[in-house]
Amino acid sequence: MTEYIVFYMLATVIAFSALGVVLLPGVMHSALCLGLCLAGVAGIFASLGSDFVFAAQILVYVGGIAVLILFVVLLAGSASDLVTRQINGQWLPSLLICGAFSWSFLQITAYFRPLNCVASLHPGITATAVPAPTVKAIAALMLGDYAVPFELISLVLLASMTGAVLFGRRKAQ
Amino acid sequence: MTLSHYLALSGVLFTIGLFGVLTRRNIIGILMSIELMLNAANINFAAFNHFLYPDRHLGQLAVIFVITLAAAEVVVGLALVMAIYKNLKSVYVEDYNILKG
Repeated sequence: MTEYIVFYMLATVIAFSALGVVLLPGVMHSALCLGLCLAGVAGIFASLGSDFVFAAQILVYVGGIAVLILFVVLLAGSASDLVTRQINGQWLPSLLICGAFSWSFLQITAYFRPLNCVASLHPGITATAVPAPTVKAIAALMLGDYAVPFELISLVLLASMTGAVLFGRRKAQ
Repeated sequence: MTLSHYLALSGVLFTIGLFGVLTRRNIIGILMSIELMLNAANINFAAFNHFLYPDRHLGQLAVIFVITLAAAEVVVGLALVMAIYKNLKSVYVEDYNILKG
């Protein structure tokens, strides 16, 4: 029962703050809503028993990306943004595309549990194991079978850092 | 809790993010909506890992990789946004037409 309450609370927070990210006219409000939404997703990771992913989500997303986006909003915004139109004219086709996508997501969800079935006959896929700490297992994977992608990720980070410095510097006079 | 609950939540989050990418005029808003879509995919990875393969942790490893790549993507993207903003003094994507030759 408790996990249902936790899940629905987190889902409500995520859904409404995501709607705030997309629909609020001020980009500053959107960035704050994004931080709330990312924290809610971190809570979902915790409820799924992925403790290391939870910590990484808090550190990288909430502590890094949300703050970085806030900085850029403060640097690149202007006062007239609050009164200009923030949605382009294509909202009706976009709504149709989103409807098609949500229909396909509904099909995928119903593949794992038919929506109109009796709950006692078809309970859906529930977790079979109790959550255990996963840090050691992930470390063994990262330094074992998946060492090459792990090193490639560090190369990608180095390249992106170089690119950010290159794009962000002032022009040489 | 069943797997379907998490799949439905991730579908809702992805759809909201997709609507934001398609309709926002502000380039920073589009980047934020892309982050929402990446987070929806991450919820799916962690949920499939938890419900279908609880003894292996490949889904969580994929989530770590996606988080790292998203950080790299948003750093380069925001640096490009700042570089364009210094030249054009605008954050709206319909003004970004300097590549037309």
